[in-house]
Amino acid sequence: MNDPHPDDPFLAHPDCRHILRCIQCGACSGSCPLGAEMDYAPRALFALIRDGDFAGALKSNTPWYCVSCYQCMDRCPQEIPVADIMYRLKQMAVAAGCRPRIHKLPDFYRAFVEDVGRNGRMTESHVMARYSLKHPGDAAANSVTALKLLARGRLNLFPNRSRDPGHVAALTARCRKRGPDA
Amino acid sequence: MKTYAFFPGCAYQSAAGYAESVAALNNRLAIRLKELDDWTCCGATAAFSLDEGDGLALCGRLFALAQKEGHSDIVTVCNACYTTLRKAGKRMTTDPPALAEVSRRLADQGLGLALPLPKVLHYLDLLVAEPFDRRLTGENQVEHGVGAVAVYYGCQYSRPWTTGPEAQHPTMLQRLLSGLGVDVVEHSAGTLCCGASHAVPYADACGPMIGRIVGEIRGKGGRIITTICPMCQFNLDAGQRGLGKDPLPATYFTQMIGLALGIGAADLGLNKLLIPLSTMQKKAP
Repeated sequence: MNDPHPDDPFLAHPDCRHILRCIQCGACSGSCPLGAEMDYAPRALFALIRDGDFAGALKSNTPWYCVSCYQCMDRCPQEIPVADIMYRLKQMAVAAGCRPRIHKLPDFYRAFVEDVGRNGRMTESHVMARYSLKHPGDAAANSVTALKLLARGRLNLFPNRSRDPGHVAALTARCRKRGPDA
Repeated sequence: MKTYAFFPGCAYQSAAGYAESVAALNNRLAIRLKELDDWTCCGATAAFSLDEGDGLALCGRLFALAQKEGHSDIVTVCNACYTTLRKAGKRMTTDPPALAEVSRRLADQGLGLALPLPKVLHYLDLLVAEPFDRRLTGENQVEHGVGAVAVYYGCQYSRPWTTGPEAQHPTMLQRLLSGLGVDVVEHSAGTLCCGASHAVPYADACGPMIGRIVGEIRGKGGRIITTICPMCQFNLDAGQRGLGKDPLPATYFTQMIGLALGIGAADLGLNKLLIPLSTMQKKAP
């Protein structure tokens, strides 16, 4: 496919150029389980971008509330990859150092990739410990559950580890380097 | 008999009896899975949210490991692994520069990628297809009496990258369980989202998502929820606090199939559930 916007880092992406086909029907917003939490549900976010306020879109909490259930993509009559556009916005927000108003999820994702980068595999207790340094309240809310899991042998305290985690350190270098707090 | 590459994913080890019950079914049905040597995390939603190139490379490594061992399929047991790998696979298949970039990064590790990439399957896909489906009917049927079961696929299994005639409205697990004599209830929450990892940072927003699923299933007469994904099972098992008395046990589909085949609860890891299945057994008529 010819790229009509070679210089636009958003529209040049193979997923994102489809936003130009949006007919503003709102099937995406109506399908979104967390749309009520968003600054702009997906339909409104796409309108904002097409109106030219890309900075506003990058700063919004919308892509961070996307839970990747992909229901919007199943239902979009224009076959726009809505959730994948949210991924692109997250990547661009992180790269630009944008701090969304609600920014707990980037911290969670950073904790996740730090653990994977170190061990090659993810260990829930280690991700939670790392995340808790910034958000101790969320750890406290889960402490009772953690004890129950421990009692049933479901909480690994030792890390899951691949044979040579250095391989994965290299493959996660970019997402560990770039982040809202990097 | 074919041997499949098995990608357990990071959450499998600590999942509530998933590993035990998959092993029990492999044994009973003569399914040959070989764990992918030196497997690493697929990156899930986290890596893709932060950097697309890294997200693709993490998945690319798994495809390359499978190809190195000569496998044409990768079997997963987690909706997030399944969707992440399928999505990355499609991207690398249709976007030559993306494939070239991943190949370049993997070459440093002595790994290579070639099209076509291995096909990504869920363990459920194996069970409902030949030859294993034929071993899950007929004389295997056993009375189990644990109560009406509601199948919960979760969101990602049925979404854009899946294939087949039941892509968006899966019913294969209901039919499989019914065929084994399990009492299965119909309901409309089978592919709603459980909140996944958003339940950690955004617990208040995600609580109602669990409530909607459990409420729908309870209202339709379901007494046990059965899942196909560690994240779904965890959220339903640990997330029913505050939803009132008599929470519904959340099992793995492999545990329910195992029970129906007469495999003992201990061999299926059912003692690891936070909401015990036994309390429901007592209430069964």
